[in-house]
Amino acid sequence: MAANRRIRNLFLAPAIIYLLFMSIYPLIYSLYLSTTRKNLSRPYQKGFIGFDNYSNLITNDLFRTAIENTIVLAVASILIELIIAFFIARLFVAISDVPGSSIIRTVFILPMMLTPVVSGLLWSYILSPSLGIANHILRELGQAPYPWLASSDTALKSVIMINVWQWSPFLMLLMLAGLMSIPREQYEAAAMDGANILQVVRHIEMPFLRNVVLIGIIFRVIDNFRLFDIIYVTTRGGPGSATEVVTMYAYREMFGFFNVGYGSAAAVLILLMANIVTLVLNRFIRGEEGNVR
Amino acid sequence: MYARKRLKKAVLVVVALVLTILNITPLIWTFMSGFKTRLEIFTIPPVWIPKSLNLANYEAIFDKRLHNLENSVAITVGSTAGVLLIAVPAAFALTVFAMKNKKHLEFWILSTRMMPPIAAAIPLYLGIKEIGLYDTRWGVMLIYIGFNLPFAIWMATTFMRQLPGEIFEAALVDGCSWPQVLLRIAVPLSVGGLSTVAIFTALFCWNELLLAVFLTSSNAKTFTVVLTEFVGQTNIVWELMAAGAVIQIVPIVILTFLTQRYIVAGLTMGAVKQ
Repeated sequence: MAANRRIRNLFLAPAIIYLLFMSIYPLIYSLYLSTTRKNLSRPYQKGFIGFDNYSNLITNDLFRTAIENTIVLAVASILIELIIAFFIARLFVAISDVPGSSIIRTVFILPMMLTPVVSGLLWSYILSPSLGIANHILRELGQAPYPWLASSDTALKSVIMINVWQWSPFLMLLMLAGLMSIPREQYEAAAMDGANILQVVRHIEMPFLRNVVLIGIIFRVIDNFRLFDIIYVTTRGGPGSATEVVTMYAYREMFGFFNVGYGSAAAVLILLMANIVTLVLNRFIRGEEGNVR
Repeated sequence: MYARKRLKKAVLVVVALVLTILNITPLIWTFMSGFKTRLEIFTIPPVWIPKSLNLANYEAIFDKRLHNLENSVAITVGSTAGVLLIAVPAAFALTVFAMKNKKHLEFWILSTRMMPPIAAAIPLYLGIKEIGLYDTRWGVMLIYIGFNLPFAIWMATTFMRQLPGEIFEAALVDGCSWPQVLLRIAVPLSVGGLSTVAIFTALFCWNELLLAVFLTSSNAKTFTVVLTEFVGQTNIVWELMAAGAVIQIVPIVILTFLTQRYIVAGLTMGAVKQ
């Protein structure tokens, strides 16, 4: 058995050491940096300043806007995605026995496989105020052109639209898998009892979908807290601060202004927020079952 | 009754088709734009189908940006290999060996995935600079491997647990060593699952932007970073952007069609009651 132990440790050690370097080291280092005024462009400027970075952050208007925007973006995107995903998933379930429907489904989910940079780029071309095909179509329909990403009133909505376009297929796939796992007899029994569609959704489909949906939401919350690529190629947080999000904010502080002390404090707060939301959602899932991630 | 059902289904298929085409219209539009000349890009009203199959945009990108494409390919392949090399033995150990606090270890491994890349950015950037790997493919790979390990280990463990444990015992009785059991039995039997792990790792590496932006500057710059440069401050080169976008996503589209079964399995794993 001692030999087994050696083999086991040999197999596990590289992964564990690697992950320690990837998680514990950055965490401790970030925590340390967040209490200093370190700036990479001013090497002489050092010094421990306690929690000053944090108190400066929470009183900073731009950082607050970034948090607000991140929350609005996450909540709005996920809600719209859930609604779209539910209807599309039901549609694909209804035609699941038609030959070729899996090909249609694969084409439908293509947006979620795309490089986020690419989806940001192709939408900024489509939504471009003068050259974009979107405004051209609006004009053809006799509508006034829409400013999309170019105005601070509409930029966040446009980013949400891009986000929803890319990620609805993800929740759709999860719901599809959930719906397909419902035994046919349950539907037949419901039909026998004369249940209407709403009752079927409420009493048969919802219970089956609950966990898949919650797990999907956790993934989407984590994704939205990290959202960077789309913003980076479409608006860089603008116009003004209309689409400023937390990752963009921290990125700019760190690699734009080299304010690594202050930027690290922002990063620590982002980590904290993401963890709190995940924990709360996890609680929800564990409420019913103990076996999910 | 039967005819009505068929009609209803036919209508639903048409609806699904229309929605699907609408959903990928942005992709079709971009694909078309990649063949446009600068003049056609600025034509109003916009042209859907370019007059000729103009390949100049693609030639321009392959001329100037081949090196970055090579970086992306090398980093994707290297990182995926590295992830499998480290994750598979770890997953195997978590599957076959008993140990105290195994649940806690597994939870810790998965929890390291919660770390947003931006939260680790500065320490990783400084660390990579310190060991002289800034702006090298090795540096990017090192970090990409780390970001993919948690999910890869978790996924591989889930797949290996589905194998019957008696096979391993039988092999041991027959005189196989543990490494042999891993290489000759566990890996071949879970090849489908490990493909899923490889696909998801490769997708992450191919698509990644944030880490690549601050880990590279010129030598090891990946193609995703190059793409962001087509939308500069003043002059937006839409035709090059479109061609670049197509180059970036063609491998993904092919992969998606070839491996759709694995992708669905990987995404829904654990989320759906078996």
